[in-house]
Amino acid sequence: MTEDKHIKEQKIVDQLSGTFQNLTGKVKRERRVEVSVEKKLIPSVLSYVKDQLTFTHMSHMSCVDWLEDEHFELVYILWSPELKVQLLVKTLINRENPVIENVDMIWGQLNTYQREIREMYGIQFTGLEGREEFVLEDWDEMPPMRRDFDTAEYIKDVFFERPGRDGAKDVREVIATRSGEEIPELAKKYSRD
Amino acid sequence: MDNSIWISILGFLATITLAFVVGVFYGGLVRKVTARIQNRVGPPFYQNFFDIVKLYSKTTAINHGWMQHLGPAFAITASVTSLMFIPILNGQGDMMWFENLNFKGDLIFLLYMMVFGSLGMALGAGQTGNPYSAIGVSRGLSQMVGYEIPWVLALVAIMMQAETTSITGLIDYQNANDTWMMFESPLAFIAGLLAMLGMFHYAPFDVPFAPAELASGPASEFGGKYLALMMTSGAIMAFVKLVLFVDIFMGGASNLVMLLVKTFLLYMVPVLYGVVSPRYRTEQSIRYFWGWPTAIGVLGVLYVVFIR
Amino acid sequence: MPNDKKSQKIVDIIQNAARKHSLFVLAYGTGCGAIEIPPTMTSRYDAERFGIRGMATPRQADVLLVTGYLATKTLKRVIRAYEQMQDPKYVIGFGSCTINGGMYWDSYNTIKLLDKYIPVDVYINGCMPRPEAVIEGFIELQGLIKDGKANGATKYKENIDWYRANQKKVIKNWNMPDYNW
Ligand code: SF4
Repeated sequence: MTEDKHIKEQKIVDQLSGTFQNLTGKVKRERRVEVSVEKKLIPSVLSYVKDQLTFTHMSHMSCVDWLEDEHFELVYILWSPELKVQLLVKTLINRENPVIENVDMIWGQLNTYQREIREMYGIQFTGLEGREEFVLEDWDEMPPMRRDFDTAEYIKDVFFERPGRDGAKDVREVIATRSGEEIPELAKKYSRD
Repeated sequence: MDNSIWISILGFLATITLAFVVGVFYGGLVRKVTARIQNRVGPPFYQNFFDIVKLYSKTTAINHGWMQHLGPAFAITASVTSLMFIPILNGQGDMMWFENLNFKGDLIFLLYMMVFGSLGMALGAGQTGNPYSAIGVSRGLSQMVGYEIPWVLALVAIMMQAETTSITGLIDYQNANDTWMMFESPLAFIAGLLAMLGMFHYAPFDVPFAPAELASGPASEFGGKYLALMMTSGAIMAFVKLVLFVDIFMGGASNLVMLLVKTFLLYMVPVLYGVVSPRYRTEQSIRYFWGWPTAIGVLGVLYVVFIR
Repeated sequence: MPNDKKSQKIVDIIQNAARKHSLFVLAYGTGCGAIEIPPTMTSRYDAERFGIRGMATPRQADVLLVTGYLATKTLKRVIRAYEQMQDPKYVIGFGSCTINGGMYWDSYNTIKLLDKYIPVDVYINGCMPRPEAVIEGFIELQGLIKDGKANGATKYKENIDWYRANQKKVIKNWNMPDYNW
């Protein structure tokens, strides 16, 4: 049923998986298509969708840290003004040795996004130009957006904390006791003890 | 002999005090008027006194060399010297000592003297090495080239008409004919008035200071006492320009009340024009002065030459 | 005679009165709080009534308004601007971010306690404080100045080693000029 509802989206997926091997694509919903490719196919897929499928607008590029599965996932978000479809091109990179090819010759603005990701996740883009430092200054710890970077530990070391008032209550505890809920394990780490 | 020297020294001091007080007071009034037009309450009219006292009481530890010291000093020298060559009141008897150091030809001398302060400031600002100062100075000097032309044309017209180059001579001419220069040669008056808009550096002609883009221009490296000195000299200079204008176009003033009324009314012209205007770009400003004001000035000279 | 206690006291009173009524604020905005400054200065709330006025360069300013969170990168610039200001100078910390980190309390890159790095005379709390609160803070500062108690700059000079140690802890590459006031 979804097939006949999303005809133009399905056509994009078919065209892409017909052209490239090992490409899995699916229609997420109306006007949103998602494809996953190998990392070495990224430059050819991006230039193909730009030139042949009218995805001319590069909206965003982002990165997800899958700590448990030990890889990073890069997401290139594209938009086609003609088809009015958003296309997400995803690829996985090994977390131990995160290297991928630089693609800022396809869209100039990718330079900025890639430099940000390089700084925040420590992913190396081969051949990427521009200063090593992006927004952080003199940062010599682990890249701060990685999930194994322990922010709570780090701020305890580096910054000062203002002692609270006597008898101050933790907002989470107050709400949890009032509604009889459990405080989630994750939140407990940040709670006052 | 002895007596007259003491009287003139007393006259200098009284004149400087008067110019300072009136200039600073007018500065406060301008802020108040601006605030009322913008529908605000605004600072009290004596606000600028507080500002100047506070600035004099600040430490001034940063300097970039001796020319930076000399810049504000030049500015205040120029204002005080110009003040000395302007007859404040044209009455007789007691008020004579306000005439200060008049001699024949002082209008032309004043033309140079009034520029001297800006040039000194330009040198001082150049020494600081701040890029904003450099841009501000170059803008200020270009604008000066703009408004000096209608200003000189206006002065030439009235000097030819009264056949004198001395300010006292001009006042006497107006008193003798029982008229004001602004009615005798109105074209010159208009040209002079338009040039005066530029001289006061209120918007739209605040090109050199442009706080939004130039961080207060030439003054950006001057803090504390330097700034206080510059504000003092600015207040005195405003008074000088107003009194000069009143003297040569509006028949001078025979007592203090008259002087204050005339200068205040005159001062409101650039202020009110400024409050409702945005800022020109440098080349727009110069084009403005070389357009109608210069044309009117030339017409004024021709009017005097051929018709009078 | 000119240096005795009594005349010094009179001079102090005059100076403090003038300083109180004429506060030049360095127009330097950090964080979100800077957006509250335009309404404070313009027609609606009109801070110029109290002699408060914006100034474009640190050389001419008396008050440094830290309007919100400070990234360590910004802190470096703020310290530099603060040290270039001429005595007497005051600092107003603006918003909960300067007091205890506010909503950025667990950020790896923003400082939490402003008064460990530069001396703060008055804190205005709120996220973000309204213009009324800002004006209230300024009036508080004026009161301190009148009583001669707004001496943050003196404290900074006396405890410069302590402040420097704290500053260098977050600013790793300290390549700033030394100002000798
Ligand atoms: S206190 Fe609130 S408004 Fe102010 S900077 Fe912090 S988050 Fe923004």
